[in-house]
Amino acid sequence: MVKYLLFLLTGLLFIRLPLRAQGNGPAGHGGRAQALGNASATLGGEVWAVANNAAGLGSLTQPAAGAYFENRYLIPSLNLAAVALALPLGVVEPAAGGLPARAGRGVLGLEAQRFGGILYNETRVGAAYGYRLGVVSVGGRLDALQISFQDLGSRRAVVASLGGQADILPRQLTLGVYLYNLTQAKLADYQDERVPTVLRAGLAYRPGAQVLLLAEVEKDVERDAGLKAGIEYGPTPAVALRLGYASLSQQSTAGVGLHAGDWQLDYAAGWHNVLGLSQYFSVGWQWGEREAIKN
Amino acid sequence: MKKLLPRFLIYHLSFLILSLLAGRAAAQEFPRRAPEFDRLAQELFAEIQSDQIPYENLYGTLLSLYQSPLNLNAASPEELRALPLLREAQVAALLAHRRATGPLLSVYELQAVPGWDVRTIERVAPFVTVAGLSPNLARGPLWQRIKNEENNAVLLRYERILQQRKGYTAADTFRGRPTLRYLGSPDAVALRYRVSHAHDFSLGFTLEKDAGEPVAWRPAQRQFGPDFLSAHVVLYEQGRLKTLALGDYQLQFGQGLLLSSGLTAGKGAETITTLRRASLGVRPYAALLENTFFRGAAATYQLAPRWEATAFASRKNIDANAQLATDSLAQFDEFSSSLLLIGLHRTATEIANRQRLTETVGGGHLGYRSHDGNLLLGVTAVGTHYGTAFQKRPEPYNRYEFRGRDNLALGAHYSYGWRNLLLFGEGGRSRGGGLGLVNGVLASLGPHVDAAVLLRHYDADFHTFYGNAFGENTRNINESGLYLGLKVRPLPRWEISAYFDQFRFAWLRYRVSAPSQGQDALLRLAFAPTKTGLLYVQYRARLKPLDLPTSTTGRPVPLPGQQLRHSLLLYADVQPTPRLGLRTRLQGSYLRADDGLPWRRGTVLSQDASVALARRVRLSARYAIFDTDDYDTRQYIFEQDVLYAVSLPALYGQGTRAYALLQATLNQHFTLWLRYAETRYRHQATVGSGLEEIKGNARSEVTAQVRYRL
Repeated sequence: MVKYLLFLLTGLLFIRLPLRAQGNGPAGHGGRAQALGNASATLGGEVWAVANNAAGLGSLTQPAAGAYFENRYLIPSLNLAAVALALPLGVVEPAAGGLPARAGRGVLGLEAQRFGGILYNETRVGAAYGYRLGVVSVGGRLDALQISFQDLGSRRAVVASLGGQADILPRQLTLGVYLYNLTQAKLADYQDERVPTVLRAGLAYRPGAQVLLLAEVEKDVERDAGLKAGIEYGPTPAVALRLGYASLSQQSTAGVGLHAGDWQLDYAAGWHNVLGLSQYFSVGWQWGEREAIKN
Repeated sequence: MKKLLPRFLIYHLSFLILSLLAGRAAAQEFPRRAPEFDRLAQELFAEIQSDQIPYENLYGTLLSLYQSPLNLNAASPEELRALPLLREAQVAALLAHRRATGPLLSVYELQAVPGWDVRTIERVAPFVTVAGLSPNLARGPLWQRIKNEENNAVLLRYERILQQRKGYTAADTFRGRPTLRYLGSPDAVALRYRVSHAHDFSLGFTLEKDAGEPVAWRPAQRQFGPDFLSAHVVLYEQGRLKTLALGDYQLQFGQGLLLSSGLTAGKGAETITTLRRASLGVRPYAALLENTFFRGAAATYQLAPRWEATAFASRKNIDANAQLATDSLAQFDEFSSSLLLIGLHRTATEIANRQRLTETVGGGHLGYRSHDGNLLLGVTAVGTHYGTAFQKRPEPYNRYEFRGRDNLALGAHYSYGWRNLLLFGEGGRSRGGGLGLVNGVLASLGPHVDAAVLLRHYDADFHTFYGNAFGENTRNINESGLYLGLKVRPLPRWEISAYFDQFRFAWLRYRVSAPSQGQDALLRLAFAPTKTGLLYVQYRARLKPLDLPTSTTGRPVPLPGQQLRHSLLLYADVQPTPRLGLRTRLQGSYLRADDGLPWRRGTVLSQDASVALARRVRLSARYAIFDTDDYDTRQYIFEQDVLYAVSLPALYGQGTRAYALLQATLNQHFTLWLRYAETRYRHQATVGSGLEEIKGNARSEVTAQVRYRL
């Protein structure tokens, strides 16, 4: 285990890679978001909006649950697992006047996540709420975050985040913004260690019914700005093929999504030139009456 | 497209009526204009950062397409894909249109083909024609067809730099020995003749003397007058003998991993269509590059309706230096350590190295093509034998380079078009076990989106001498990479192209003393306000490690720095009146040798104007101002030149560059080109270095060319 951490540290020192510790930063959960280079501020209509941008919950009209697993660079200490639940509140208002259907009183999301191994791990429990108002969706999330080092103790912090999405051209162009940790929660006085504060802003463009193009910029207060891009292509409604790239982590991703009835399976693989293979897998389940329109 | 239909119908009906009136309902003559090569090159190459790429070869291929245009009624899918201007969906649409409505009646009918927008047609028009499907024999016997061919011309070109260069001054002595000087005159002369008809025949010869090369009759040194002589005879469609080439020819199979020629634009602003190579087989060679062809014979024979076999043999002498082993343990007593590819034989040393190494190449290709042309499979074998052993200098970066006298490369390739997808690839293995693999897919994801993915891997010990498959390196060796391309047309007249390429070099390279990796990305936004106008903005960023000068690192061992280059290009091409064309171009690049080191920059702003003075006289001119910090930030800029010539000067320092080009069609036989170009430098007492050095601050060249159509 120590060997793995050392490996990672040497990677950090010598390759000058802007790797971010997982968990601490804004999550990119779900095989779909990961396959798209984690350009996820504009994504919505699926249960993983609870982690990616709570505003995306607003376009969900069915209750949904999902589980997500991630492994980085084939190192067991870098495993992550998360479960999420999204519940539309109130009556579902059907699509009208060019606007998609929505839950009358918004959508509530819950998520629990654990990252790491025995030496180091992060646990997080979060609640999110998203609401759609015409062409605009807004959302927020509150996390309780705990970070533990073996034999060194643990820290807890509360992290608040806000998100918004707006349709610039209906069903064609969407703008998404997500601000993670706007309270700048502190973890330790030593070196003023804080949970990263990150702002993400992205555009989603649909040039045709089958294609989705994503571009997003991300800025962490203490890091360089990064660019992320993704493309999704659905040859049939049941299958989606995805490619993505994130400039900050220099990782290319590719993935496939399968939609079967109420089930959604997404797999993504990421390749880093130096650190190698990462894998992401999520499964989602929706129930209740179908009205949702994905974005 | 729907909007265009009524217009098309009007066009079409009017032409039908006209043709009925004229008493001939056959194919319509579309007034084929000469392609604007500099504009096309502008669009095909993203940004030129090196003069290593054989642009002349690409020009040659495009020109021969212009000379003997592709018959849209007879063209195979592979030939259509060879035009680097068509999307996969457009190729499929044309084939479907041909199947549904029979042969095209005129080029104007292209507007009725779904997905063929006006811009595409404008770009493709110079290279295509619409003709009947009548076999060659229907046009009379071969000698008569050659005699009657319109496309039959002799071309004579003269070129000279006006200032005296050091190489042409009288030799002085240095330590008792005379210094090196050019042995020939500073005039460059080329004479070529060619007559060709697509799918029928091509005949031609070329004579060339570069500046500084002596004209001499020295049969012992295989020199017969001018320095470079080339000729070819190629016949097509002689029964089952599909192609027979004698003399100089080129070969292109599969993705060009083992055999490649001509049309290889590589990474450029055409982020999709230039990725895939077309398997075109044996092609005549009529260009002036002295090292990119085979000399001997090649033939393609149809074994069965869908099977074709090609065999070729070539033997020529190539330029190489000679080395004698000083170490008794050396592998070879006598060897060549470098092939000299520039093709210039001006000094005693260059002449001594001229055609020193005998190169014998033989091989073959077996290809299968499905009845609809969508599935292509093939295997290729290429064997090379050098007269004396070849061994590169014993540097670490040459550790896995080819050494010895023989190489055998074997490969297999495929291409499969399925609906809106085109899958293609090639794999090869060279003697010693090095592997090369290239696989890709082009996809039309929707009416407005095209995407491409290409994965390549070339081992550090993969040796192919005539291959030029897709890659970041100029040769397919020591590289792995992933390329993603995208093209979106969000609104009519607007186009966004982008690519992202990441590559890795597993072994050292020249001037990169460690395994390295890099990235290259491009984004271009183009707007075509009118049929002839084009405006675009292009940004390119490239991270590619390169050794830092030891003076900056202070280390005895070289250390690669993360060289980062940002380039921006603004381009406007408008035609305010039918007789006047204006072109403005601003390009600049910022370069940093390593993180933390200072940025260096280079910019050039140029303005072109082109005026039709009379019906047959056209004058084009440019004035450009450049300002660069050093040679690394030099700017390459395409220039208009006389037909068949390529001008791509590298501008660095501070100064101006101007040229004027006059084209006059005197009568139906004679066309004349005159060109004067001049570069003036500020704060420089000399221009150039070595034997090319000019005393003064200017360098000017004149070119004259005359074409006589027989």
